[in-house]
Amino acid sequence: MSERRNVDSEPAFILHARNYRETSQLLEAFTHNHGRIGLVAKGARRSKSPFRGALRLFQPLSISWSGRGDLATLRIAECSTSANNLVGTALMAGFYVNELILTLLHRSDPHRDLFAHYTALLAGLADAADNVEVVLRRFEMALLSEIGYGLCLDRDSVHHAELSPSQRYEYRVERGPVPVDATSGSDMVFTGVELLAIGRGDFAEQETLSSAKRLLRNVLEHHLGGRPLKTRKVFASMKRRI
Amino acid sequence: MAFHLLDRDRRGGETLVTALENALKAIGHCERCRMLAESALCQICDTAGRDHALMCVVESPADVVAVEDSGSYRGRYFVLMGRLSPLDGIGPDELGLDLFEEQIAGAEIREIILATSATVEGEATAGYLAALAKNHEVAVTRIAHGVPLGGELEYVDSNTLSRAISTRRALDAD
Repeated sequence: MSERRNVDSEPAFILHARNYRETSQLLEAFTHNHGRIGLVAKGARRSKSPFRGALRLFQPLSISWSGRGDLATLRIAECSTSANNLVGTALMAGFYVNELILTLLHRSDPHRDLFAHYTALLAGLADAADNVEVVLRRFEMALLSEIGYGLCLDRDSVHHAELSPSQRYEYRVERGPVPVDATSGSDMVFTGVELLAIGRGDFAEQETLSSAKRLLRNVLEHHLGGRPLKTRKVFASMKRRI
Repeated sequence: MAFHLLDRDRRGGETLVTALENALKAIGHCERCRMLAESALCQICDTAGRDHALMCVVESPADVVAVEDSGSYRGRYFVLMGRLSPLDGIGPDELGLDLFEEQIAGAEIREIILATSATVEGEATAGYLAALAKNHEVAVTRIAHGVPLGGELEYVDSNTLSRAISTRRALDAD
């Protein structure tokens, strides 16, 4: 574990908070230089707490903490910019991304690039003009490449030749696109055009966007190792009632 | 407390045990609002003098006590016993929303006041309940968030202040 005892003014977001004892909270935070960390915010639920109003999900923070090991003590938490106001689908997407980070990132592994992607993701989700699905797919791709499972979307994994737009490929996780004939009915079959567009991050076509969703969902499920996402289950039951 | 009861007040300990036992046996949930209750209906739902067309939705029994203590509310409640918390796997099924939907579909309720907490999950819960209520003939309001009484602006945290400004209201001069 880290030897550092004090960290000051670190950019961070709270990914998850749960109540702890009478007045405290246990936090999972995503920080710029220290990755995901566990914190205890003592007295955070008291009406006079200095953290009050700051420890909200999706709020850009500057935090200071002390201690080593898995659970450090939060000393200061200040809002660094105004909150990302997420509502409706964008808010649900925010919860989903937080669960992905909590599940796929190890504690105390710095992921500075991903921190920047997360910051951009929240700004995109808060901006009604942006398509939530596009913002989500970009983040999922960044997350995969950050943890070493980046998608291979330019060459086929058999002949190492550039993808041909008209060819159909089956995407195999941890291998890449494998050319298949037109009759293959796997859930992971895509056209070269689609894979190339996804690789460029070009989601202008609705077809590309839904293919990207199918591709990323399967790849993420593989890396989650069969652990079901709680957020996905909750959203499904929320949608059933509306 | 354990040492005190064992060393000096064993009789007091027995009284405590009986009280806890009775509480655990007798106290269930009100079948109308899910508040803790000793009978089928809680005291509030059972009182004729209250406005049963006004429903205040809160997260916990402690919230009911807090609103009651404010002395300003004479309607009824609906206690979720939690809030939407997707990361903990808590969704509509865990919050008794079947009962909630059943009640707002009935003709009795005129207004729903969403008094869930001012956390992101509390806001998510309020937003979702408002969406559920949309299909019914019922007004939906959210409790106001802002500057505490007696509070000076310079000591109010920036998120609360920004909310207070964005949800400001017109002031009528008499």
